[in-house]
Amino acid sequence: MSAAVPIPVIQLLQVLTVALGAPGLMGVIAKVEARLQGRRGPRVLQPYYDLAKLCRKEALAPAGASWVFLAAPPAAVAAYLTIPLLIPVLTTYGLPLGYMGDILGGGFLLSLAGFLVATAALETGSPYAQLGSSRAKTFSAITEPVVLFVVFTVALLTGTDLPYALAATVRSSAGEVVRPAHLLASAALFMVILHETGRIPVETHTGTNEFGMIEEARSFEHSGPYLALLKWGSMLKQFILFTILADVFLASNQRLGAVLLAIVALLAKAVAVGCVVAVIDDSFAKLRLFKITEYASAAFLLAVLGVFTLYLGGG
Amino acid sequence: MNPAPGVYQGAADVIAALMLLLEFGMLRQALVRDQVRLYATQSALISVLAIVIAADRNLPDLYALAALSAALKVFAVPLVLRRLLGPPAVEETRGVAGSYTLSPASAVLASIVLAAFGFFCFGSLGIHSAQAPALALSIAGAMVFVAFVLMIVRRDVASQAIGFFSLENAISLASLVLAAELPLLLETAFLFDLLLAVVVFGMLIRAHHARAESLSTADLTRLRG
Repeated sequence: MSAAVPIPVIQLLQVLTVALGAPGLMGVIAKVEARLQGRRGPRVLQPYYDLAKLCRKEALAPAGASWVFLAAPPAAVAAYLTIPLLIPVLTTYGLPLGYMGDILGGGFLLSLAGFLVATAALETGSPYAQLGSSRAKTFSAITEPVVLFVVFTVALLTGTDLPYALAATVRSSAGEVVRPAHLLASAALFMVILHETGRIPVETHTGTNEFGMIEEARSFEHSGPYLALLKWGSMLKQFILFTILADVFLASNQRLGAVLLAIVALLAKAVAVGCVVAVIDDSFAKLRLFKITEYASAAFLLAVLGVFTLYLGGG
Repeated sequence: MNPAPGVYQGAADVIAALMLLLEFGMLRQALVRDQVRLYATQSALISVLAIVIAADRNLPDLYALAALSAALKVFAVPLVLRRLLGPPAVEETRGVAGSYTLSPASAVLASIVLAAFGFFCFGSLGIHSAQAPALALSIAGAMVFVAFVLMIVRRDVASQAIGFFSLENAISLASLVLAAELPLLLETAFLFDLLLAVVVFGMLIRAHHARAESLSTADLTRLRG
């Protein structure tokens, strides 16, 4: 397929595409959201400027915070940057390092990064940061069963839980695309992604209202390059989740000859998913915090029905 | 794992799955007006399914059935129900909104379990044929059970009527996927059954409201009034 580009270079490019594309994606979504709200909005490149500005600032740590506080942001980013090695980002065929871990492996890395950030927030002693990490962990426990059932569906569909295998199965025929189990699992995953990236049901993504904050509150006490790493980490998480949705579950067209073209295609796909997310974010009213279980239960219903249709219904 | 179905059969399965999701939506929805809207959408889906099956198996009769079913279930029945319910503001005072006996979350959990039972029952019948998509049939089974839960957990006549009508949708779904080549006359007879049910429920709703000034059935605790 892409014989001209050596395999190790492709693997490196996967990581670099995600690492460098993530802030741009955030910028595009912020722009689209602003336009939908009738505002002019920030520049698309604004997240890059923000990160550069934060990197030049002084870093401070609260009195009494241990080394965990400073070690967590780079460790979380490292965890996020490992995931693009495991999932199909630019190629349809598995790369050597792609078999280091399955979907659960990717999930563990996402959870590890979240855990590290939450631990760093607890180190600070700040009530808002602690509130954020407490909420984030509680709600991720609620969405965890949904993710598990999505993985079950994948396992029932493909007999493995490798992301490359699912993408290959979905691409294999049109019948696989319209299979109810696949569509239900994809819809459930999309709902989880909306929740995980802080779009709906309760958070305002960039808001400063503490009552609705989950993810954003956790980085309250970090500053300078460490804050930049945390922000970059959440952008990476968003890009990775969009990539999983677009390349693994929707398995959109990846039959591109050249890897360089695939980079452009991936960015375009991520922007397309981002635009859909922005429209949803702008058009749905936020729920009260304790209503989040109802949102999670709707996603759970989709995922459970996905498993039922395969396991009991024979579809 | 089972091989993937063809595109037409997959589309039929997806429409059936959407109908099941709408059934859950009706169960979850507190306001009857929204339930009526969901019922109309579900009925529209069954007409689409009839068109898909008609195109797949080349059965021109089904196009007529789809049109008839859409006219009746998407427009006529919801219109009659809305007129029976009166203006939206009245709904709150009539004992309709949020008339749950179980909490919504428990009702949804109970219906997930029953839906699994429905899937299991129809799945274990072992009907495997190129003509009858087994999955859509199982989904119809699950829908029947969820519709029963809807009728059981809501304590107002209007929601119970909608539960009954959606039960009819589930049975239409089963008959469409299992016996699409049923004569048009018989299919029309099914629709006539529905018309009869609408009239009966309409009279019931009116009579109950005239006597109790409410659509709630919570006070009907004795066998003789």
